[in-house]
Amino acid sequence: MSKFKEWRAGYLFALPALAYMLFFVGYPIIDNIRLSLLDVNVMNLVNGDQPFVGFDNYTKLFREGALVKVLQNTLVFTMMCIALQFVVGLAFALLFQLSFRFSQRLRGLVMISWLLPATITAMMFKFMFGSGGIINDVLLRLHLIQAPIEWLVERHTAMFTVILANTWIGIPFNMILLTTALTTIPKDIYESAAIDGANVLQRFFRITLPQLKSAILSLLVLGFIYTFKVFDIVLIITNGGPVNSTQMMSTFAYKLSFDQFQYSQGAAVANVMFLVLLVVGFVYMRLLNREERS
Amino acid sequence: MLAMLLVLSLALAACGGGNGNGNGNKESKGSNEAAEGKGAVEPKKLTLWFYFEGKAQFDIVKSLTDGFTAKNPNITVDPVYIPFADFKKRLSVGLTASELPDIVIIDNPDHAAYAAMGLFADITEQLKDWPEKDQFFEGPWKSASYDGKQYGIPLGSNNLALYYNEQMLQDAGVTPPQTWDELKEAAKKLTKDGVKGIGVSAPQNEEGTFQFLPWLLSTGATFDQVSTDGVRAFGLLSDLIKDGSMSKEVINWTQSDVMKQFAAGKLAMMINGPWQIPDIEKSAPDLKYGLALVPKDKQYASVLGGENLGVVNGKNIPEAIEFIKYVASPDVSKDFAQKFGYFPARKDVASDPYWTDNDKLKVFAQNMEYAQPRGPHPKWPEISNAISEALGKVLTLYSEPEAAAKEAQAKIDGVLQK
Repeated sequence: MSKFKEWRAGYLFALPALAYMLFFVGYPIIDNIRLSLLDVNVMNLVNGDQPFVGFDNYTKLFREGALVKVLQNTLVFTMMCIALQFVVGLAFALLFQLSFRFSQRLRGLVMISWLLPATITAMMFKFMFGSGGIINDVLLRLHLIQAPIEWLVERHTAMFTVILANTWIGIPFNMILLTTALTTIPKDIYESAAIDGANVLQRFFRITLPQLKSAILSLLVLGFIYTFKVFDIVLIITNGGPVNSTQMMSTFAYKLSFDQFQYSQGAAVANVMFLVLLVVGFVYMRLLNREERS
Repeated sequence: MLAMLLVLSLALAACGGGNGNGNGNKESKGSNEAAEGKGAVEPKKLTLWFYFEGKAQFDIVKSLTDGFTAKNPNITVDPVYIPFADFKKRLSVGLTASELPDIVIIDNPDHAAYAAMGLFADITEQLKDWPEKDQFFEGPWKSASYDGKQYGIPLGSNNLALYYNEQMLQDAGVTPPQTWDELKEAAKKLTKDGVKGIGVSAPQNEEGTFQFLPWLLSTGATFDQVSTDGVRAFGLLSDLIKDGSMSKEVINWTQSDVMKQFAAGKLAMMINGPWQIPDIEKSAPDLKYGLALVPKDKQYASVLGGENLGVVNGKNIPEAIEFIKYVASPDVSKDFAQKFGYFPARKDVASDPYWTDNDKLKVFAQNMEYAQPRGPHPKWPEISNAISEALGKVLTLYSEPEAAAKEAQAKIDGVLQK
């Protein structure tokens, strides 16, 4: 087969997928960008002029400070969730690596939080962290606090609660990916290190972590993308409150579009979100390529 | 990549909604064709969207549509439940995709917005010679209009009043408060042993605005002029929180959460609507409670709640108008209002002894005189958001009342100028 034919065949095979992507992914993105450059609101959604306003929607959202606040919230939320999920996930992965009695079954149990629908988890956290919820009840009985903490009323504790809920869901995902990566590390490296007199900590920092490097990178980047677009958990537990202190990019975009009928502003927020994730996505691709080359 | 997914999922939700409706229509056509074979006139099939949650509610709505078909055998109306959280989204998305029902039962402050969007048909002409239109209370009737034109008929109304636990008030030696000073004092006295003096639901959404308006309007402020006079209303509620007479949790309580707290004896007083009465009587049959007007600052005030029937701009406008006229007729609306815990939107029905002779309901009846509609304004959702956001800031003691009212006013001015 000639070089050209081979080339053509390749594109023919990719064509259906390409067409699918263009229609279901490309079109909505382009349309969303278009929408964000117009001023579409309740008055002119169906009939009436939809004036072109350039970047007015973006500048307005930035100037009013709402977008900056929401971006900050989302970044704080994402960073905290990833850090916690990763550390706890790694700890679990290492723990279940030591095959003790019931380790398999316990690992299965940890997976439950990942299998539950997110809405159910969110409802559960909402009840548990209510002022008469089980968390306050336990803390009161242990005399750790004098009066119930209003978790979902104070700004910082509300953020803490949604971070905790999302972390709880994310731990199993981290654990499983790290467990898989751990099994690929050859046993003999550890054996020879042990013979050379390396202690547990040395083995962890000199062997385990470096060997897990590429898995950890993927995990952090994928985790970032997955966490950054959080929606259901926050919507149910706090609905962005109190006073927007847990308002995320996604819930804010939804609120603008479907509560206040400011469709163009909602689209603008979604596009900023897209841009952030696009950058993260490119970084990830570069890291992957470098890993593959080395 | 995943932001695309968000965009995509919004787009898919649109397609999903549209498809569901489309299929429904196709099926109906199929069954109609079958009926035609027997020589019957092909009945017109209409769709009605509503958001009242629960089997009982569905059955009550179904009784309306069945009753209508019994009188008009050539028209059937299919009631479709859409969850409240999705309702506005489905309507706006349906509007751009032209996948809409024929009739919508809509929250009255949203009516003007959707009329402005072009969702509802202007039926001013068709209602011109309808003698019964003069029977409606002005507030509800206006809430179904926009820019001087009529886009629907009120289905039923409600408003907010003060519920109080008779036993607790008696024990504390207080009478139902009528002014704000009395309210603060009473709430303080009633707060003890795990019981809070009063509960006013204040989430940061339309529900929060709804509950706040009686206070705001009582000062002489209006929904589009909240600063200066309105500051006192923000101040009152934040004082109740500072005094400890109201839980800070109210910013997360829906009106039905507040009702449950009241029914469980954890609140001595609450602000709520007539639709809670059946639930209270079911969950706390022994509770002795009374009703009074919302305590006043300058004047008594309440807020008008309720739903309207809107006719969607489409192919079945004449049939849809027949349906809403049927629902609004005295006998049907009376029966519906009783089953639903509604207050009738018609004066002739409201003067029925069912409402005027009942100790509890008559407070709501009296209150109708003071109840003012939200808007109507096509940008009501944005105005409402400015108000409920300010309320949230005040109740979490994040902002002082003056600052919050000023900020809300600036936002409202921005909305109104556009």
